[in-house]
Amino acid sequence: MPALNHYLVLAAILFSLGLTAALTRRNAIMVLIGIELMLNAANLNFIAFWRFRPNPDEMVGIMFVLFSIAIAAAEAAIGLALIISLYRHYRTTDLDQVDALKG
Amino acid sequence: MNTVNYLGLLRLLAPETVLTITGLIVLFFDAGVMRRQSIPRRQQVAAFLLSAGAMLAIGWSRHYSLADPNSTSMLVIDPLTQLMKQVILFLTIFTALVSLESKFTPHVGEYFALLALATLGMMFLVSSVDLLMLFVSLELTSLSLYILTAFQKDKLESSEAALKYFLLGGVSAAFLLFGMSWVYGLTGETNLIRIAGQLRDRATDPVLLAAMVMMLIGLGFKIAAAPFHLWAPDVYQGAPTPSAALIASGSKVAGFFVLARMTLAGLAGAEGSGVWNGFAPGWVPVLAVLAVLSMTLGNLAAIAQTRVKRLLAYSAIAHAGYMLPALMAHNTMGTIALLYYVTTYALTMVGAFGVVAVVEQQTGSDAYDAFTGLSRRSPALAVCLLVFLLSLAGLPPFAGFFAKFYVFTAAASASTRSLGLLWLVILALAMSVVSLYYYLQLLKQAFAVDPPAGAKIIRPLPATLFTLVFLALLVLLLGALPHLLVNKLQAALVVSGL
Repeated sequence: MPALNHYLVLAAILFSLGLTAALTRRNAIMVLIGIELMLNAANLNFIAFWRFRPNPDEMVGIMFVLFSIAIAAAEAAIGLALIISLYRHYRTTDLDQVDALKG
Repeated sequence: MNTVNYLGLLRLLAPETVLTITGLIVLFFDAGVMRRQSIPRRQQVAAFLLSAGAMLAIGWSRHYSLADPNSTSMLVIDPLTQLMKQVILFLTIFTALVSLESKFTPHVGEYFALLALATLGMMFLVSSVDLLMLFVSLELTSLSLYILTAFQKDKLESSEAALKYFLLGGVSAAFLLFGMSWVYGLTGETNLIRIAGQLRDRATDPVLLAAMVMMLIGLGFKIAAAPFHLWAPDVYQGAPTPSAALIASGSKVAGFFVLARMTLAGLAGAEGSGVWNGFAPGWVPVLAVLAVLSMTLGNLAAIAQTRVKRLLAYSAIAHAGYMLPALMAHNTMGTIALLYYVTTYALTMVGAFGVVAVVEQQTGSDAYDAFTGLSRRSPALAVCLLVFLLSLAGLPPFAGFFAKFYVFTAAASASTRSLGLLWLVILALAMSVVSLYYYLQLLKQAFAVDPPAGAKIIRPLPATLFTLVFLALLVLLLGALPHLLVNKLQAALVVSGL
């Protein structure tokens, strides 16, 4: 059976992959996917820590994850809505071309 | 069987309940009864309903129960949190009244309902002492503010600002959550007080320090401290001006309060040290880095601006830098100084954005040129602008002077070891002098330069003008008699602790 360390390393890798995607991708939707990956890495951490606690009767960790999944869903919905409203103006979701505001 | 007194709970959460119901009433009233009315009329009714609801919430926010220090509760409702909630509710009322001036959306009901929801998130944020509650309310606030930023759908800048705000906010929320997961893993607790109890003997654990930095990244974004400030100038400029006013005021108050709660209560025992020549790892040196970067970058970038909303954004970053030393002092005096600073600063900011909203609505621009000769075109507005900007610059007798004074004395007297935080105070004083330059630059445009030929007289709505004058008087009053607010904060802090 995998130990706690394995889950934590996996979560850290997922988080780094998500951060890389969020920072390097030029497409707004890919950035959004990167953010979702980072949030899910944190969720994985919570579940792993909860599962390997001395007393798993305490539901704190799993409750945290349920809430954060719901929040991530809301966040994705709002993110996509914002991307659509941007697309109506620019006709693109490429972030390099979105540059009306600077200074 | 554990029986819960639901009536008592409801009484403690009366302000939040009232505000939620107000938001729904505003939404349905606007969609139903007011549907065929003109937009200004709908705005007036919605703003009136929201203000009435917020006043009711303020009236019902006097109940509190002092928390048992060993409890695992998720919320604290004590005199201090109730006082901060009242401040936030007042800021929302002012924002709603300033919104009357701007015509940026036909979706009036949704706009005012979202103002109520964002405020609700801030109120829960102030009360939360549990990582879960903190994260949920932070997201409620942020998600509402993203939508409020995008509200001017016909304007390209509004969508662009909202998307940038959202993407950076999403990354910072992920950092916050990841840091929280490690804190939970290390301590097995999500309650801040209990976390502090667990941390006391292993404050220099490197994993804990990494988790702490991640959580501070998440909150540093919320208060727009450099280097997590990149969203602020774009959002302040692109968002509809009233939305920007709420982001600059209420969200700032809640953000700083929760940062104070997180560091002073949750991470107590892991302070480290930020004194000159005596750094030790912990959250104080992290905040020191943020403070130095924010003060320097905010002030220097503000000099180069030509648009007032962008100027206010960079000055907001600088002000976040001034406020952080009060937190780093981590004593009662520092906390009082921080809360006084952030409250008066938020009032000033709503006022300044209110003036910009009026000028922008009537001239179509927020560039410096639009403010040329404002003193001839609208003397009342120009005087209000003068009060707000000089208070931001920290000149007596305005509230901003005492705010800076308290923060700097708290920071300077915090530690007697070598030079203590004096090095930060010296930097902050030097940077305040720089800030005077760009505020005066704008005031020169408004007072000393003649208006261009054919410039129109600017006439704000009576309700907006009344709000702005009231805010200006408040800034003057809190500057002349700062103890009015300080005594209140002190009394609340002594009873509740943080």
